[in-house]
Amino acid sequence: MNNNLFVELKNVKKVFGPVIALDNVNFSVLKGEIHGLLGENGAGKSTLMNILYGLYSPDKGEIYIEGKKVKINSPFDSIRYGVGMVHQISTLVPQFTATENIILGTGKDKYRLKIEEEKEKIKKLSTELGLDFPLDVKIKDLSAGIKQKIEIVRALFRGAKLLILDEPTTSLVESEFKDLLKTLKSLVKKGVTIIFITHKMREVLEACDRVTILRRGKVQGTLDKKNMTTENIVKMMFIEKDIKVTDSALPKVELPESKKSEKPVLILKDVSTEPTEQSIGLKNISFELYGGEIVGVASVSGNGEKDLAEIIINPKKITNGEIYIDGEKINDLSTLEVFSKGVFYTPEDRIKEGILPEGNLKENILLGHHSEERFLNRKIFVKWDEARNATLDTIKKFNIYAPNEDIVIRRLSGGNIQKVIMGRAFVNPIKLLITHNPTSGLDVSTVEFIFKKLVETRDNGSSVLWIGEDLDELMILSDRIIVLYKGELQGIFKRSEFDKYKIGLLMIGGQK
Amino acid sequence: MKNKDLFRVIIIYFLSIFFAFIVISIIAILFRYDVIKVLKTLLTTSFKTSFGFQETIKKTIPLIFTTYAFTIPFMIKFFNIGGWGQMLFGGTVTAVVGLTLPKIGINLPSFVMIPLLIITGILAGGFFALIAGFLVAKFDINPIISTIMLNFVAVQFLNFIATNPIYRDPYEGHPITIPLPKSGTLGFISGIPYSIIFAIISIIFVFYLIKKTKLGYEITAIGYNLDSAQKYGINFQKTILLTFFISGALAGLGGTFEVINIHKKLIEGFAQTSGAQYGIFGVLTSLIVAGNPIGAPVAAFLMSVLLVGADALQRTMQIPVEMVFLSQALIVLFIVTFRERFLRRR
Repeated sequence: MNNNLFVELKNVKKVFGPVIALDNVNFSVLKGEIHGLLGENGAGKSTLMNILYGLYSPDKGEIYIEGKKVKINSPFDSIRYGVGMVHQISTLVPQFTATENIILGTGKDKYRLKIEEEKEKIKKLSTELGLDFPLDVKIKDLSAGIKQKIEIVRALFRGAKLLILDEPTTSLVESEFKDLLKTLKSLVKKGVTIIFITHKMREVLEACDRVTILRRGKVQGTLDKKNMTTENIVKMMFIEKDIKVTDSALPKVELPESKKSEKPVLILKDVSTEPTEQSIGLKNISFELYGGEIVGVASVSGNGEKDLAEIIINPKKITNGEIYIDGEKINDLSTLEVFSKGVFYTPEDRIKEGILPEGNLKENILLGHHSEERFLNRKIFVKWDEARNATLDTIKKFNIYAPNEDIVIRRLSGGNIQKVIMGRAFVNPIKLLITHNPTSGLDVSTVEFIFKKLVETRDNGSSVLWIGEDLDELMILSDRIIVLYKGELQGIFKRSEFDKYKIGLLMIGGQK
Repeated sequence: MKNKDLFRVIIIYFLSIFFAFIVISIIAILFRYDVIKVLKTLLTTSFKTSFGFQETIKKTIPLIFTTYAFTIPFMIKFFNIGGWGQMLFGGTVTAVVGLTLPKIGINLPSFVMIPLLIITGILAGGFFALIAGFLVAKFDINPIISTIMLNFVAVQFLNFIATNPIYRDPYEGHPITIPLPKSGTLGFISGIPYSIIFAIISIIFVFYLIKKTKLGYEITAIGYNLDSAQKYGINFQKTILLTFFISGALAGLGGTFEVINIHKKLIEGFAQTSGAQYGIFGVLTSLIVAGNPIGAPVAAFLMSVLLVGADALQRTMQIPVEMVFLSQALIVLFIVTFRERFLRRR
């Protein structure tokens, strides 16, 4: 037995219905390392970590922690063994301060909260770790990066020696990622062990000491630092798949010469919206979008990019300024009227805003088209046969893996759900596609599929407004990139002027 | 997968009813009643005599209407507790129209009068529910509150009409109006009220509305996921208003038939059976089938079987009807609990 092992999982198997999520997985993590866990969507990363964290119990297999065989039935057990998790989506209570969140559910005293004492302890711990954050500000007023630090401290405060970070960079800005990296390295020096779940090659290369690659529920192998090359990793991730790889492990899609239309499809003139609790609002946005081009919107999440997408399909939200489609002012149109102009939209959060989870594929494809003459009899009755045809057509065109059109959509995988949402936009000929993070959380082959679809749309003379979180992705496919920061337009870059540093700097509010 | 789900649902319903009857049996034993006789009376009275069956249908009809009144708004996650008030209001306005016309010298033939009264009930009930719909659409006032409050308004409006010297029957000690003109009433076919036809039409209407129309699709979509539905252009406010109108219209229609077919006049507390009002039974019935519009009439019928059984228990064995209310409440509780426990999605 190797004394250096912190966690060892042996022959772990987990089956969900017909799906073998994990098949005889052997996985071990050394004390004091940052261990990457890499794999496509549905490769089994989350399942494996949920087993270690006690959310699932394995059908077969053993777990050893520091050499001792253990049974983990719940997160209470896992924290007793020193396993803590930082989830992808913040689990902090937004109305509580950092201190309140960290001590939530910890105190030994049954009836009293010793906030001041605990606060001192937290302060001490966070200074020791070199993680500073305001202790008395409500979580809802803090940035994603700070929240993550608080989650890390919370796990450690409860005695975690092993931290599982589930795609920790999803909501982080470039600079926050650098910060996180520094934090992780310093934590490791203090003896903390880290499992880092990710999709992104670059993060593995920069952050991890070793990496284990999962594919379809099986371990493909573990690489140590010296064997950790892009080529090795990608080979392991996609052995049979014919995926071309660029430096950043993004699919390579050719972008032919743009055939820009003469007249703009979309014009925004000095458009502003009111800031709300959820969004920062837009301030005097003006730009034009032509047929035959993809315009990428680069912004850190929460800088008005969601408003930008939504005011086009729901222009009534605009408080100031004008918006035109094909030269026609659309300020007073409803969403369905905008759709009837050949505009369509795929929202940011595919589950919460994009689908009817309990609805079947027909009901989901019909959404947004439900007022079109094509799908209605005498304006009242839905032509379900027609909806079915459109669905079958979409399943075929978009390669959606679904047994039939009556299946409830939540039973599909994330990639297939995204394809349904995309497919819905192409039920009718499209003039302008507004798409918000269409590729987030998807495996590379699906990303490639969506990329190709966007390019195809553009090459057919339509326009794409693509709001993306990943600058690398935007730079591959955009004809122009617009940068938004705090609801204001920071600049427009032509393809020939793309410069990661310049754009990135504007995204985080640096000087032009 | 689907068959497995269906199998589970059947098991859940079977077990819930089974457990509820076990509790009833225990109580019956504690009170020294003959358990076998209690259960037999409860379950078979509806089918033993034609009178029992007629009574069951008479209760089923209003129950179908109030069940729908709860079910349709429930599909978009709103609780319409006002089915009772909407039923009372619909019935009361129907009576006002039916009594006023002859008084002012307008005597319409049956084939005009009946449709007129039916439309009156639809509009009155729809309008009454629309108040709650408007309050939630415009001011975000929870319909649980507004509909319960409006129930009181409807009760007082009914009392106001039934005790009003213009309409009141002076020979009755109880607030009851004079009878409706003959042209404004419906009869019975072998003991079953004509309104059964309209109840069946309503079932077909609701089925078509939900499964085949654009509005039905919009209601379903909102029920599945409000955010997605709104993002893709479904007008939530408009759907709320229409949903409440339709649900109130159905309840109001139920009230109309109680007035023109069962009582043939307006009686204080007409929308009641066995001492409990149809509105709350509609809620129970709807919850039993989880707000499923297709299952609603079946549940309404079964509920009526129990109610008729309960009446018989009271008559023959002096067992209070409340015991049956208890069993109905338990069935609902068991079903809701088992459904959460065994059909919950991972």
